[in-house]
Parts: sequence; structure tokens; C-alpha cells
Amino acid sequence: MIIVDNIHKRYKTNHGLGKWVLQGVSFVIPPKVSVGLVGRNGAGKSTLLRLIGGTDQPTRGHVERLCRVSWPMGFGGGLQGSLTGRQNAKFVCRIHGHEEDIEDRVAYIEDYAEIGAAFDEPVKTYSSGMKSRLQFGLSLAFDFDVYISDEATASGDAAFKQKASAAFKSLIDRSSIIMVSHGESTLREFCTAGIFLDNGKAHWFDDINDALNAYKESRQK
Amino acid sequence: MINYDYAHPRTSLSITLSVWYALFLREAVTRLSAGRIAWVWLLAEPIISMGVMLFVFTVIRMRVVGGMTTETWLLIGLVSYLMFSRTAAQVQGALNANKALFVYRQVKPVDTLLMRAALEGVMSVLIAIVIGIGGTFFGVELIPEEPLTVVIVFLGLWLMGLGYGLVTSVAAGLIPKVGIVLGIVSKVLHLSSGVILPLAHIPQPYRNWLLFNPVLHGIESARLAVSPTYVAMSGLDISYLYKCAAVAIFFGLALHRRFANKLLAL
Repeated sequence: MIIVDNIHKRYKTNHGLGKWVLQGVSFVIPPKVSVGLVGRNGAGKSTLLRLIGGTDQPTRGHVERLCRVSWPMGFGGGLQGSLTGRQNAKFVCRIHGHEEDIEDRVAYIEDYAEIGAAFDEPVKTYSSGMKSRLQFGLSLAFDFDVYISDEATASGDAAFKQKASAAFKSLIDRSSIIMVSHGESTLREFCTAGIFLDNGKAHWFDDINDALNAYKESRQK
Repeated sequence: MINYDYAHPRTSLSITLSVWYALFLREAVTRLSAGRIAWVWLLAEPIISMGVMLFVFTVIRMRVVGGMTTETWLLIGLVSYLMFSRTAAQVQGALNANKALFVYRQVKPVDTLLMRAALEGVMSVLIAIVIGIGGTFFGVELIPEEPLTVVIVFLGLWLMGLGYGLVTSVAAGLIPKVGIVLGIVSKVLHLSSGVILPLAHIPQPYRNWLLFNPVLHGIESARLAVSPTYVAMSGLDISYLYKCAAVAIFFGLALHRRFANKLLAL
């Protein structure tokens, strides 16, 4: 279960404090419920994911994670460009406290990412698709209760998307996903509930279809 | 999918220790694998720059400083300053270099600074040993009369570098353009530390002003420890270096605690 309690967030910009990205967002994500986030570009979807994942802290309010939550996957974040895929994988295993079975996990990640010899090349030489393959493999190597995906599969090819969607499905029995995606079918496929972000406020819908409809209506205005 | 026993969640301490371990190895690998022979350059760069300084100084025929040969005087000064400056620079730049890793909530900004300082300490000691052996081989007197004092001074300078970096990293991260000011500050520190300029004969009251610089105390004390007959600056106090380092470290850690959230969003 994840409790988001009245969070506000704004960033510091070059001209002092920026405008509020999130203003009083509250909701509770029950266990095993997968949630899709929808909203315009710049509505604060990625910000909200970062706050849920603990990568960033809200300006006000707090987030309680009563389960194991992954880091937000997507856009090649969390990878050090000058290091190889293998070295990055080892780093992530170590910070998650898996020094003993590091070999197994790195082997699993290498096997899952399917990027061949590039696994031993620096990450900065990777294409964005290869980065998402690596990131995806990384997060699947650990048992999280909630996986956070910020368009994690957007830059993958068809084969990878298929593989990712199979992985998501196999997870659904014991884990859930919080995802941002601009693909409606992806959201409908994996998410039961939805959150529509608009003007710094979050609107919770028990059905993802309702969230998508609300988003559509707001666009027509 | 691999399954594990999650019955025992990790304690905060064990998370921090595994993060430190991972960061230390990661930093070491990054430094050593930056090129085909990165580790050679890591040692060669300071040694070559010291060689150039040595050459310039001997060409302008400065033979003796305070009763010590110029070679010894300069090398001890440069190696001691290295302990401070390399650590300070690396720690100051740690936030920028490790931004990508703050995605993982286990990694706190201050962790990356501490591990950089640790790695830099190890490397600076290695460089000092290589220069000590190499210099002795070429007939420069570098074997200290009081080795323990040298160790104490080096440790103090390293701690000072850590403290300086802890404070400046927060300042550079939160205040725009402060990096430019810090560049000037480090130049002033360098010149007022007596690394390349003999400061013992600067007239009063300016000499007493220089004594406010803790790094100067460390460097002159190191020279004194290598050769007790060296005519060092008066008013040296190694404990002043340690006091300044302690204040800087505590202030820096406090800043990191206070601004932890803001530093995450850099």
C-alpha cells in the first residue's frame, strides 16, 4: 500500500522558485492495484512518480511506502554512462544488498536485456532502446511489490515490448505497477485504476477507462 | 524470476554500508577504466606536473629554502597540498558526477561525497608513496625524520579537504554561479598555503593573516617533520588544522542534512 498525503511540489528554477507542479495531491494505492497516470505533458506525471519512488522529496506533505517499491524506470535514468552495462548492474545489485548472489542476478539481467556483447560496453554507447532493455532487466531482477514505469517500454522495439508486456503480466499476481504511458491500449491492458493529473491536482478513478475519458474531455475544452 | 527471503528487512545501517561499498567500487572502476591506461595517467599526471615545477624552480636557481634544499621543500609541499586539494576538488564535484544515481532512493547525496573522499585518500597516499620512493631514488631527501607527524599532518589535510568539499558542494549546488567564486577561493588558498611561494619572511602583520589558513599549518608542519632543522614559519599549530577540519566537516554534514531534499533535485 502506498499513501500519498497532501503533497505539494515545486522546483527551484534559475529565476527563484518555480510554479507549483503538484498542489495538494492525496490518494491511497491499495495493494495489488495497478494504476495508470494520465495528463498533459508537464502536468507533473513524472514528478509524481519520482515522489512515489522516493527519488525526490515533496516540498510539503509526505509519501508513505508500506511495501517494496522500485525506482522509477524509464529514460535511461540511474545508469552511469561511462560504465558498462555489467558494471551498472553490479552497482544496482550491491545497493540493494545482494552481494552474495550478485553473479546470479547479473546473469539474469544480462539474459533478460538481450543486448549481447554490448552488455560489456559503456552505457553511453547504447541506443535508447538498449538502455530501456537494460533498465527493465535491472528492475525485474529484484522482487518489488510495486514497479514504477515512466514510459519504460516506449523506446523499445516490438520484440522487447512483447517481452515487457509478458513480464508485466507475470508480475500481476504478486505485484502491481504504477505507470505513465501515452499509449491508451498499454494503460488499459495493465492498469485497473487511473489517476488524472490536471492543474496540480490529482483525480482518482477506480476504473482506468474513466480516467482516460476525463483526460479526453479536458482536451476537448 | 529469482525468489529471495525478504523476511528480514535490512537495517538503515546495512543499507548505508552496502551503498558505500557499491559507490566506492563504482568510483574506483570509473576512475580506472576511463581509458585504456587510465591508471597510469592517474599516477603520471601529478608526478609530471611536480616534475615541471621542480624543473622551473631549479632553473631559476633557487637552491635553499629555510635551510632545506628546494627539491625537498617543493616536493613535500606539493605532496602535502595534494592531500587537501585533490580530495576537496573531488568531493566538491561529487554531486554533479553522481546525479544519475539519486534515482535510487538508497543513495543519499552525502554518500557519494564520503566515498569519493575515501577513494581520493587512498589514491593520494599511493601517489605520495610513489613520489617518496621515486624522489629518494633520484637523491632528493624525502624520508621524514618524524614519520608519525607526517601521517598526522596528511590525515589532517585530507580531513580538511573533506570538510571543505562538503561545504562547497552544497554552496555550489544551491547558489548559482558560486562555482566561479570557489575557483578564486581555491587559487587564494593555493598561494597562501606556501606550496610554491616561501612565506616565512613575509612582513608582519600579513604573515599573521596567512596563519588563518589551516592548510598552511599542515604544509609547513610536514616540512618540519621531514627535516627538524627546517626554518619553518613561526606560530604553526597542527591542532589548528584539525580544529578547522572538524568545524568544516560538522558544518558540511549539517548543511547536507538541512538541504538533503534540495540536493536531490539538482
